[in-house]
Amino acid sequence: MKTTIQEQNDCMVALFEGRLDTAAASQTEQDMKPLHNSEKDVILDCTNLEYISSSGLRLFLGVLKSSKPKGLHVFITGLNADLQNVFAMTGFSNLFEFK
Amino acid sequence: MNQLSPLGELLLDEYREYRPQLELLAEKVYNMLTTTFREQGIQLNAIEYRVKAEESLVGKIVRKGDKYKSLDSITDLVGLRIITFYSDDVDKVAAIVQQLFDIDWDNSVDKRKLHDPNSFGYSSLHYICRLKTGGIRFEIQMRTALQHVWSAIEHDIGYKGFVTLPPEYRRQFSRLAGMLELADDEFSRLRTTMTDYRRQIQALVKSGRLDEVPLSNDSFDSYLKTHPFDRLNKRIAAVNQAEIFPAAMTSFLPVLIHFNFETLGDIERFINENFDNAYQLALAQLAVTDIDILSESVGLQNLCLAYALKKGGDEKELHFIFDTINGHQDANDFLIENIKKLAENIALS
Repeated sequence: MKTTIQEQNDCMVALFEGRLDTAAASQTEQDMKPLHNSEKDVILDCTNLEYISSSGLRLFLGVLKSSKPKGLHVFITGLNADLQNVFAMTGFSNLFEFK
Repeated sequence: MNQLSPLGELLLDEYREYRPQLELLAEKVYNMLTTTFREQGIQLNAIEYRVKAEESLVGKIVRKGDKYKSLDSITDLVGLRIITFYSDDVDKVAAIVQQLFDIDWDNSVDKRKLHDPNSFGYSSLHYICRLKTGGIRFEIQMRTALQHVWSAIEHDIGYKGFVTLPPEYRRQFSRLAGMLELADDEFSRLRTTMTDYRRQIQALVKSGRLDEVPLSNDSFDSYLKTHPFDRLNKRIAAVNQAEIFPAAMTSFLPVLIHFNFETLGDIERFINENFDNAYQLALAQLAVTDIDILSESVGLQNLCLAYALKKGGDEKELHFIFDTINGHQDANDFLIENIKKLAENIALS
């Protein structure tokens, strides 16, 4: 699992690659730390994300929790069909904004 | 070039020396006010502060001759403006200002009361204040957003006097002032009416007389406070011993209105009649996973889907649901296909 954080003009972009499962969650949490202190909108780019577990969903929710009170938006992009299904069945599609 | 008298020059020197302290005072008063308003839950349109600019001070000293004998006699070196949404709030804000600071009543003025019925204008409340610990005086202006608009336009037009304006323009000003004053009163009245309405709705929801409560943003909000979807959410969560993450559910209201539900009673029946089907639908999706975190909206979402599927699973209906709760996206086609396949394996009754 690889997580890359890029600061772009008006937003922070996190690029995920691989399987965000329970084993990978701890490292990914560390990698995602800059997103929590960000004063910019966040894009979670899941184009190369193959799988997300509950631990991964919690990390995404963590970003939402730290961004929303600051009036920032969290966008998710590039979800494959399986991941779209996970977001839909958990009701999380309703929490995030999709690009 | 200014034409300051020796006394004026002295005042200007004093101002320059005290300028950093004036900045600190302005910031301190601003912080005291914003903290108190936040604690009291008072919503404001804006609160702003400034220290009088040097050019502005020079202009004032020149204009007023030797009226000012000391820096403290100039009461607006530090100025704050509190802009409220409603006219009722101006008095509320003023009461708080009176508690926080010592008011120099001799120099404070309620310009709202000064108007001759035959004159025009639309003014605000000005207090000259001092910190309770002493120090230089400062001015706080309190006005509504509409009073602020009036003042800004009056300033832009460049008219502040009374005599120079021809009668036809005076009349135009008076009509506008009257209209704004009326609008301010009406907004206040509307707020009171809306508050009464909300209380009434809350009381009906509390008493369980749901058929008497029309479905609206306000009533749905009140209804959500009774946690009507908790029982279903808990049952769904039990499938994987999942944690439930709090979520706003007001975005589902357009779907419920689309279903032609008119009262909260309709919603209550919708929950009871579709409870088992919604659970079965959620179970079919979640049982094959180990997902142990769910949004609080999961119950309502499955209720809406089960209801639409039971009515025949019309593609348009399902699209409306997904487009409303997820936003319009290509993925919705796939999700609809998926949910329809799942529904085929469940006997929705």
